[in-house]
Amino acid sequence: MFNTDTANVRAGLLLADPRLSRFDPLPRILSLDDFDRGHCGWSQLLGNYEGSLDTILPGYRDMTNPMLSTLSHWDSGSHGAMDGTYAMKVATRAKKDAVSVAIKRLTFRQPSPVRLEFYATFKPEASDLALSDKDLKSIGFLLDLQMGDTVGSGGERVMPHLRYLNARDGTLQQKWQFKRRTPDVRKIGERNETVSHFHLADEGWEDLPGGSQRLCYNEIATKVNWHYFRFDFDIGTMTAQRLQCNDRIFDMKGFDSIRLPAMKNLWCMLNVCFFVETASNKRAFLYVDSVCLSGDL
Amino acid sequence: MLRESVTYVVARHETWQGACATEPVEAGWATEALFFVRALVQPTGELPQIRAQISADGMRWADEGTATSMPADKDSLGVLRVRHFGNWLRLVADLPEDAQCVVLVSVHLK
Repeated sequence: MFNTDTANVRAGLLLADPRLSRFDPLPRILSLDDFDRGHCGWSQLLGNYEGSLDTILPGYRDMTNPMLSTLSHWDSGSHGAMDGTYAMKVATRAKKDAVSVAIKRLTFRQPSPVRLEFYATFKPEASDLALSDKDLKSIGFLLDLQMGDTVGSGGERVMPHLRYLNARDGTLQQKWQFKRRTPDVRKIGERNETVSHFHLADEGWEDLPGGSQRLCYNEIATKVNWHYFRFDFDIGTMTAQRLQCNDRIFDMKGFDSIRLPAMKNLWCMLNVCFFVETASNKRAFLYVDSVCLSGDL
Repeated sequence: MLRESVTYVVARHETWQGACATEPVEAGWATEALFFVRALVQPTGELPQIRAQISADGMRWADEGTATSMPADKDSLGVLRVRHFGNWLRLVADLPEDAQCVVLVSVHLK
């Protein structure tokens, strides 16, 4: 006997679609990005400026564009994506502690739960014939959210940050961290129109309780394995619900976000960022195969 | 399917002195690349050619053969058109000791 309940029909449709069956989306899929279809609205994060590009805060100056990559390696050729040919590559410069960010800019129409799911992997540039597993500092992601303009006084811009700290100063760390410390907000230019803050500095990160995790780095610098990541966040209450990476689900009771007073031109903002940091004078790469952003929206 | 097209800014407000290069551009999906090199302030000194380079791995580079003059004045442009580049591209320039140029470099791929 077939069950035709809406939930079962929906589950069946999701499971029958190879593009979706790898995800567990909430009822409305806001975006489903497969980088075999192009850049899918992901672009370079640029620091704010006014009058001159000199006014961009230093932390933002070295950002690079995300690019479509075949994960091409000098020793084995193209690795390819999880399926298809291309993944989105986020690359740092070859300068210790450099960071680079890919961003997708949306807004929301209801302050409800959202779910970010993606398949990704990471590697340092294979410029040495060595394992190089301590050359990449971290990969991570963040949401940049602000309540709607009817919120009244006390409205907030909320920025949940998570990173997988892979290594630091030549030592493996292999743990999840979050950031709640609010960075300095600096006035940009002379017109009193623009401010900026660099929220991805290496300072202020805290260990997520119980957040140690060893991932599948593989055995040389040019072999990669794709990992599943999921982050649930309720925009209504501005609280994190769940972090999952592969088989591990982490308790978010100790987690909090960066919180700032609402800004004058960011109402209903829903931005998603991926970032990567290098721990050495080598480029570090975050490769994202596909991203599903869904919500109860 | 519509043809993919994208613009990357590969050097933004960078002061080029001595041996300079853009970050590598990975673009195996594209068949043509058009670079614009804009001088954001008045360049100084004797300006060299800007050269396109290709690579097998994004790490070891060879001249592709396309070159143009660096922009000689503020807001003027150098333009390079490149095809048949495989997977990797970048621009390089070797500025003599007295030369300097603050550049904005974009590449337009399709």
